[in-house]
Amino acid sequence: MPGFRSVPLYLQFARCSFQRLAAYRLANWTGIVVNFFFFLIHAQVYLAFFGQRQEIAGWRPEDAVLYFATSEALLMVLGAIVFQVYDLGERIRTGDVTVDLVRPVRLWERALAERFGSALYYLLARTVVLYAGARLVYQLGQPPRPELLWLPASIAVAIAISGLLIYLAHACSFWWEHAHGPLGAMNLLLWFFGGVAVPLDFYPEALRLICDVLPFRGAVYTPVALASGRLSGDALAFGLLHQAVWLLLLIGLAQAVEARGVRRMVTHGG
Amino acid sequence: MTSLLDSVRLYLAYASAAVRAQMQYRASFAVRTVIDSLVVIIDFAPVYILVRYFGALQGWSFAELALLYGMVGLSWGLVEGALHGFENFAKYLVRGDMDRLLLRPRSIVLQLAGFEFQPRKLGRVAQASTVLAIAIWYLEFGPVALAWVGLGLFGGVLFFTGIIMLGAATQFWTLGHTSELQNMLTYGGSAALTYPMSVYTAWFRRVLTYGIPLAFVNYFPAIAALGRTESEGWPTWVPGLSPLACLATLVAGRWLFERGLRRYESTGS
Repeated sequence: MPGFRSVPLYLQFARCSFQRLAAYRLANWTGIVVNFFFFLIHAQVYLAFFGQRQEIAGWRPEDAVLYFATSEALLMVLGAIVFQVYDLGERIRTGDVTVDLVRPVRLWERALAERFGSALYYLLARTVVLYAGARLVYQLGQPPRPELLWLPASIAVAIAISGLLIYLAHACSFWWEHAHGPLGAMNLLLWFFGGVAVPLDFYPEALRLICDVLPFRGAVYTPVALASGRLSGDALAFGLLHQAVWLLLLIGLAQAVEARGVRRMVTHGG
Repeated sequence: MTSLLDSVRLYLAYASAAVRAQMQYRASFAVRTVIDSLVVIIDFAPVYILVRYFGALQGWSFAELALLYGMVGLSWGLVEGALHGFENFAKYLVRGDMDRLLLRPRSIVLQLAGFEFQPRKLGRVAQASTVLAIAIWYLEFGPVALAWVGLGLFGGVLFFTGIIMLGAATQFWTLGHTSELQNMLTYGGSAALTYPMSVYTAWFRRVLTYGIPLAFVNYFPAIAALGRTESEGWPTWVPGLSPLACLATLVAGRWLFERGLRRYESTGS
């Protein structure tokens, strides 16, 4: 039973994950260019949709620009784009995962530790640059608000939620030949139900309700909307509660799936 | 002529081998096919949600936006499906798979194209064709307008082939560290082209017109088909340049790929 004694081990996994990403500077700059390109598209399309109108249902044009500046800056931190250096699904398929199972660390815990390591890297290497860039192109001002005190916690929970979801997609490899399908699905679900392309506020009522039940908004929309000043009062309370509940549910699910998957696995060779 | 037939046969052989390999795992194959169909259906949803919420986009109705989406989606889908091997090109370079292909006395481009062929990628083709067909039917296009759509699709296939080759070619130098850049031009490019070029600010529009000639893939043929070249502020001869601009991209991609190939030194052991 891994307990507090394993904490240094988790920190080491996080550190390695950080360093692995930090080794590829060019890849990071390329990623920044790509994120910024998408930000520019979103910002301009939304400004065009607003046209001459100053406000629609509580959204002003500059709110939309701020929302997308924040979402593109945080996407990699939140893990909303399924991309992992440690490809668990592939390791399960090849049987390499047996080496991981020998260690006194559960697979999902390791996956989370690594996710936090890479999130920290992206926060330092990408979010800062993207946000600064967005501020240069558009005048984005927002007064400091007390709600922002919740932001670090909300981001941390969001990282854990997306990390667990992606872990679960990888874990499908215990049952199927590989996890490409579920991973692709996870990418899409986070994108659509997380509000990456369209803020959830613009969704039709019924669809909005579905988003509020599913876990995906907890990984993307809640922290992004909070950071861009779209959440306060009851909506904020609901968002944070939704995140907390789903975090617990997903941890339980990851435990259960791992226990069953590992028992089911057969590795050949000696 | 025989060599062309031979090439086609080779491509089909590669593709069918890849399909057979994937069919070994039926459940996985089925799951992935279902998921991929959902992906492409949901892909178009934001356009609908936004038009529903905001109304028309600077005079562009939902059907007209669907036309733009269908054109770029179909041409990109065809290329993505047919040239899938190029997308994972960096992986082949790093792992040395490339050497295996180079040893065979056939066109390297063709072999790469058919390598790890993915039939599920054809879902995008089906979805984009459906969107495009409905848009064309709704907009009641005549033969001239249809010809413009066809010209746009043809150009789009040339253009995306060129971009994919450009992206693959840069891997000879950067070994996968810049593979995201190619995604920006293909996936990001198609995202940008879902909306008319006129919504973008002047400098961005210039980049997408003269820098990377994305605008020639669907925007110019579409405004010609809709008969609004002049009201969008362009001389009427500009849409006619579409195939040329797209061909130029293909030539550039091919040229850079050849240069990269000449520089290729394998991975060593």
